[in-house]
Amino acid sequence: MKIRNIYLLSAIVTIITGVFSCKKAEVTTFTKIKIPTASPIAPGNISGFVKGTLLTGQTYTVTGDITIKKGDTLSAQPGAVVIVKNNAQFNVQGVLNLLGSQDNPVFFNSDTNKPGTWGGFQADSAQAITIKWTHIDNTGGPDAGGGARRTIIVNARINVDIEDSWFSNGQDDLMGLFGCHVTLLRNTISSSGSTDGEGINLKSGATGVVAYNVIFSQAGSGVKLETNPIVPLPQTEVDVHNNTIVSVGWRRGSAEPGRSVSIGVNAIGHVYNNIFVNCYHGLEIFPDADVTHTTYGNNLFYATVTTFTDLRDATIQINLRDNFYPAGAVGKPQPTDLISAQVGQFDPMFVKFDGTVAAPNGYPNTNDFHLQPTSPAYGAGNASFDSKRPELGNLDLGAYTTDGKGNKH
Amino acid sequence: MGKTHFMINKYYLLVLLFTASFASAQTSVITGHVTDGNSREPLPAAYVHFDGTSKGGTTDAFGNYRIQNITPGSYKIKVKYIGFKEYEKEVDLPAGQTVILNISLEQSTQNLKGVNILGKLNTSNESSSRQIEKNANNTTNVISARAMERSPDINAANALARVSAVTIQRNSGSDEAYAIIRGLEPRYNNTLINGVKVTSPDPVSRFVSLSIVPSDLLDRIEVSKTLTPEMEGDAIGGTTNLVFKDAPEYEYFRANASIGYSAIFFNRKYDDFNQGAVQRQSPVDRFGPSYMAAPGYFSRANLDFTKKNAPVTSLAGFTYGKRFLNNKIGLIVSDSYQNQYYGTNSQFNIASLNPKDNNKPQITDVANRTYSTQQLNNGLSAHLDFTVDDRNKIAVDNVFLYTYIAQARLSIDTSIIGGNGGRVGPGTGTVFNDNRSYIQNQYVENLKVSGKHVIAQHFTFDWAGIYSNATANSPDRADITLNHLINPDFTSTPSYFDAISRIWEKNGNKDLSGLANLSYKTMFGENNSFELKAGGLYRHSTRFNQQNEYTLRPVPEANGVKSSFTDIYSSNWIVYNVSGSLTSDKANYTAYENIAAGYGEFFLELGKLDVIGGIRVEGTQQGYDTHPVVLDVQSNARKTYTDVLPSLQLKYKLTDKSNLRASYGQSISRPALFELVPALNRGQSSDVIGNPFVKHSEAENFDIRYELFPKNEEQFFVGGFYKNIKNPIEFGLQNNYNGTQPLLLPQNYGTAKITGAEIVYSRYFGNLGVSANYTYTYSNINTPKQTGEVDAKGNPIIKLQGRPLQGQTGDVLNLSLLYKNDKQKAFVQLAYTYTSRTLTYVYQGYGYDFYQQPQSFLSLSGEKQISRHVAFTGKVNNMLNTPTTVKINNLVQAKDLYNVSFNVGFRYSL
Repeated sequence: MKIRNIYLLSAIVTIITGVFSCKKAEVTTFTKIKIPTASPIAPGNISGFVKGTLLTGQTYTVTGDITIKKGDTLSAQPGAVVIVKNNAQFNVQGVLNLLGSQDNPVFFNSDTNKPGTWGGFQADSAQAITIKWTHIDNTGGPDAGGGARRTIIVNARINVDIEDSWFSNGQDDLMGLFGCHVTLLRNTISSSGSTDGEGINLKSGATGVVAYNVIFSQAGSGVKLETNPIVPLPQTEVDVHNNTIVSVGWRRGSAEPGRSVSIGVNAIGHVYNNIFVNCYHGLEIFPDADVTHTTYGNNLFYATVTTFTDLRDATIQINLRDNFYPAGAVGKPQPTDLISAQVGQFDPMFVKFDGTVAAPNGYPNTNDFHLQPTSPAYGAGNASFDSKRPELGNLDLGAYTTDGKGNKH
Repeated sequence: MGKTHFMINKYYLLVLLFTASFASAQTSVITGHVTDGNSREPLPAAYVHFDGTSKGGTTDAFGNYRIQNITPGSYKIKVKYIGFKEYEKEVDLPAGQTVILNISLEQSTQNLKGVNILGKLNTSNESSSRQIEKNANNTTNVISARAMERSPDINAANALARVSAVTIQRNSGSDEAYAIIRGLEPRYNNTLINGVKVTSPDPVSRFVSLSIVPSDLLDRIEVSKTLTPEMEGDAIGGTTNLVFKDAPEYEYFRANASIGYSAIFFNRKYDDFNQGAVQRQSPVDRFGPSYMAAPGYFSRANLDFTKKNAPVTSLAGFTYGKRFLNNKIGLIVSDSYQNQYYGTNSQFNIASLNPKDNNKPQITDVANRTYSTQQLNNGLSAHLDFTVDDRNKIAVDNVFLYTYIAQARLSIDTSIIGGNGGRVGPGTGTVFNDNRSYIQNQYVENLKVSGKHVIAQHFTFDWAGIYSNATANSPDRADITLNHLINPDFTSTPSYFDAISRIWEKNGNKDLSGLANLSYKTMFGENNSFELKAGGLYRHSTRFNQQNEYTLRPVPEANGVKSSFTDIYSSNWIVYNVSGSLTSDKANYTAYENIAAGYGEFFLELGKLDVIGGIRVEGTQQGYDTHPVVLDVQSNARKTYTDVLPSLQLKYKLTDKSNLRASYGQSISRPALFELVPALNRGQSSDVIGNPFVKHSEAENFDIRYELFPKNEEQFFVGGFYKNIKNPIEFGLQNNYNGTQPLLLPQNYGTAKITGAEIVYSRYFGNLGVSANYTYTYSNINTPKQTGEVDAKGNPIIKLQGRPLQGQTGDVLNLSLLYKNDKQKAFVQLAYTYTSRTLTYVYQGYGYDFYQQPQSFLSLSGEKQISRHVAFTGKVNNMLNTPTTVKINNLVQAKDLYNVSFNVGFRYSL
C-alpha cells in the first residue's frame, strides 16, 4: 500500500508537473516594421556642412572638409565606410557619434591609404565625442599653415568617450584631449606620429580614465599628462591603468625622448598595472608634476634588448633598462613593480612580438600582445588603486586580462 | 645695396661742389649777429637780406650771419623774424672790405593770427614754436627743427620723447617706435605727416613708425592734446603732426653726414646671413598656384648664420630749398639716408602661475635671443608751393620713405616646465635653437595736393587730396629649429633637425582721401573776431595681407628616427605642404575702412576770451574677407558705426604772456583692421589673433592748462586732464601659448578712467638752458581675474581687479640741459628721460600683470662750429645702457639690452 501510494503520488506529481510544464512564458511579437534611420546620409560624395547618420554597409567619399555645426550630430552605424580625399578634415563643432560594433566596425581612411593623407577630427569646440569600434587610419596631413594635424583634437570641457577602436599611422598627437573628461578604453594605437606626437596627450585640466589600451611604436610618449602652465586649475588628473605600451618614444630623437607615460606640469596621475616594453623612457614623473598627489605601482618594465644604437651616430647607445625610471626624474621604482634587470627576467610573454625597438611611422603592427599563460603579469596587479574610484584596477597587468574586462582586439 | 652706395657718392659730390664754389675771390662782405633786443639772446635762422634782391643769408644757431660776394655799393638791409618788428637799415659796402653790422630786433606785440592774407611763419625755431603753442586754439606742444638739431635726435621718435607727456613705445629688437601721449598707447593717438594720415605697412600698427622719419626732414613736430572739430576724431590721447620743411624765402642748403657704432658689438659679433639667398618669390608666385614645391626649391644659405664685425652705421642727409619766379614758386627737396646696424640682447621667459606656491608666477621657459639688425632708411621729401597771389596758394607734397630691414635672430630656448624636454634640474633638459633670418622692404608713398584760397573778403577755402600707399614685403622669412638634450649628468646629445618654416609675407595699405574746409572770418570791434568753419573728409582705405607658408620636415632615418643635424647644407627635408598655405590660410585676407566725416566749428574771440567749439560727425565702415579653409560665421564681417563728437574749448588770455585754457571734447579710437580679422599675426615676441567682436573706443576728455610765456624761448605750463574711455582695446593673454610665444587677443574690458597732471618749464640762464616736463597719469580699469581658488561646485572663483590701462605710464619726466657758448660756437645738451612702470599685458591671474619696469635714459649731444659753414656734431645715445625689463611682480619675464650708441659727423650749412 505504502509503496503503491508512493507510486501513485509520484505519478500524480509527474502528471501535475507535466501539465504545468506546458505553460509557456508570454511572448509578444510585433509585425516586422523597420524603423527608418533619422536623417540618413545618402552614400556617395559628401562635403561641406553635414549632419545625420552614415549608414550600415554604405561607402562615403569625402571630397572636401566636412563641418558638423554646433547642435548638429554626425553618427555612424556599424559597417559604415568613409574614404577621405583631398587631405580633407572633419570639423566637429557639434556631436560626433561613431558607433561600430565588434563584428561590424566603422572605417575611416584616406583614398591613398598612406600615412598622413587626411586631416582627422578637428573638434576643438565639439559638444560631445563618442567613438566605438571604429578604425581611423592614416590621419595627420598638413593643416592650413603646413603643420601636421592631430588625429582627434578637442579643447573643451566635454565628455570624450573612445572605446574599442583602432588608430594607425597618424602624424602628430593621435589624441590631443585638452580639458575633457575622458573615457579611453580598450583601444589600439599603432605606429603614429612621424617624428613627433604623443599617443594620448591629456592637458589643461583633463580628467578620467585611460585603461586597457595598446599603444605601439608611437613617435613621442604613449600617454602624457600635463596641466596648462598658465591655467593651473583645474588640474589634470587621470587614472592610467592596464595599458600595454610597446616600443614608443624613439622617432623624436634623443633630444626629446618619448616616454611610456609622462606626468608633468602640475598634473596628477595614478599609474598602475601597465606593461611597458622597449620604450625609450619608461614612467617619467617630472619634478614639476603634482608629485604629492601622484600615485603609481604594480607596473611591469621590460626590454627585449639591453641597448639601442642610433643608425647615424653610433656613439648614441641607449641602455633601455636604465631609462625605466629615468635618471633625474622624481619617479622611483616601487616594491610592487616588476622591473626587469636583464633580458629574460619579467618578460611579459606576449603571444607574438617581433622585438621592435625603433620603427618608422606607419610600420605594420603584426604583434599580438595577449599574454601567454606563463606570464608574470598575471596576478601582479592592484585591483583597487584609486580610493576615489575603487572599481578601477585589475589583478592582472596589461591590456589583456583574464577577467574579460580587457582589450577585445 | 648698390643703389644706396651710389647715393652716398652723390652726397659727397654735392658737398664738394658747394665747398668749391666758395673758394673763389670775393668783393665785399657783411657780417654780424642778430639778437633779441630785450633778452640780448641770439636769434637763430633769422633771414638777413638786401631789399629788392635775392641776396641774403640766415643766421646760424648762434645768431651770426655772413653775406659774401657782394658787389660794392649801397644797400638796404632787411631782417624779418616772426614775433619781431621788421628791421631796416641803409648800409654802404666798400669794395674789398668786411662790414660788421650787429642787429637788435624789437619784439612785436602784434597778434600772429592772419586774417585775410596767407602769411607764412618761420616756425622751425624754438621761439616761434612757443608762439604757436601760445596762439594755438587747442592745447599743443611744439618741438622745432632747431630743438631737434641741437639734441641727439636722429629720428622723429627720439625728438618726440622730449615733448611733455609723450613717451615712446619700442619693440624689442627693433628700432620701431610709436608715440604714447599722456600715458595712452599708440592706438589712441594718430600720427600725421603734414596734417594728413600716412598709412602704415606695419601689420600691427595703424601708423608709420616714427623711427623711419629722419628728424632732418622735419620743420617741426606738433603734438595736439585736445582736438578741435576740424581735426580727425580718432585721437583720444592726441595727435602728432610731423610737419616737413617748407620752401624758405632764401636759398637754403644743408647737408650732414656722420658715422656711428653700437657698443653692443664691442662684446659680441654681428650675426649675418646671405641676404642674396633670400628668394623674393614664393614657389606659387613663380610657378603658379598648382605648383608642388620640391625640397630643392628652398635655399639654404639664408639659414647659414655667420659671425662678423658689425659694419659702421652711416647717416647722411641734405635739404635744399629755393624760391623762383619772384618767390612765387618754392621748392624744397630733402633726403635723409640712414644705414644703421644695431643689436639687441634679449632674455625672454615664459611665466606661469605656480599653484603649489600660492599662485606665485614661475618661469616655464627661458630663451636668450640675440638680434642683429641692419635697417636702412631713405626718406625723400619734396615740397612745391605755388603762390598764385596773396590770396591763392597751391602746394604739392610728396613723401617717399623706403626702409630695408635685414635681421638675424638667434634664440636658445629651454623649457623649465613642461614641453618634451624633461628638464630634471638646472642646466639640463632639451635646448631648442631657433634661428631666423628675415628681410623686409617697406615702401611708403604719400602724395598730397592742397590749396588755400581767399575766395572773398571773409571767406577762405582750403582743400586737399591725398594718395597714400604703404607696402611691406617680407620674402622667405626662414626659421629653423634644432634641439639637443642636456642629460642629468650634463652630457649632451647631438643636435637634431626639428623643422624649418618658410613664409612669404606681403601686405599693403592704400588710402585715398579728400577733404575740404570753408571758413568765414570777420572782425568786430577792436579785439573781437568771429570765425565759422565747416568741412568734410572722405577716406577709403584698403588693406591686404598675404601669407604663404611652407613647412619643411626632416627626412627620418631608415628606422624612423629623426636624423641629427650637422649643418644646413647636409640636411635633408621633405616639403610637408607642397602647395603652400596661400589658398588655405585665413591670414590671407582683404579688409577695408571707409570714413566719412563732417564738422561745423565756430571760433569766437571776445577780447581776452577765445571760444572754439562745434560738432564733428564721423561715420565708419570696416570689414574684412578671409579665404578660409572652413566657412565659419567669422570668415567675413562688416561693422558700421557713427560717432557724434562735440567739443568746446575756452582760452582766456590772462595777460599778453599768459593763457588759461579749458576744454571738453569727445573722441574715438578704431581698432586696426588686422585686429578684427580672426587670423594669426606673427610678431617678434608675441602673436596676435584678431577679434571681430572688439568694439571701437569712445572717450570723453576734459583738459585745463595754464600757460606762461615770460620771454622768448621760455615757457611754463601747468595743466590737468581727465578722460573716461568706454571700451578701450587691450591685449589680453590667452590660455594657450602659441609655441613659445604668448598669444594675445584684443579685447574690451570695460571703462577706463584716466586722470593726470602735467607741468612744463623751460628757461635760459645766460648760456645755460633748462627744459623740463613732467606728467603724472593715473588710470583705472577693472578686469575679471582668476583667483586660483575654486568654489564649492569646483568652478574657479573670479574676482575683479583694478589696474592701470595697458600701455599707460604713471610718471614721465623729461629733463634737458643745454649749454651754449657763443664765443666758442659750441652747444652741448644732456637729455634725461624717466618713465615709471607700464602695464604691457593683462594676465589672467588675480594680483599679477606684466609690467615694463621704470626706465631712465640719458643722452648727450654736442656741436662745435669750426667755420662759417661747417660744424662738427657728436651724439651719444642710451648712455646708461638702460634695459627694457618686463616683470610680473618680482619675476623677470623679459629683458632687452641695446647698449650705448655713438655717432660723430659734420654738418654743412649754406
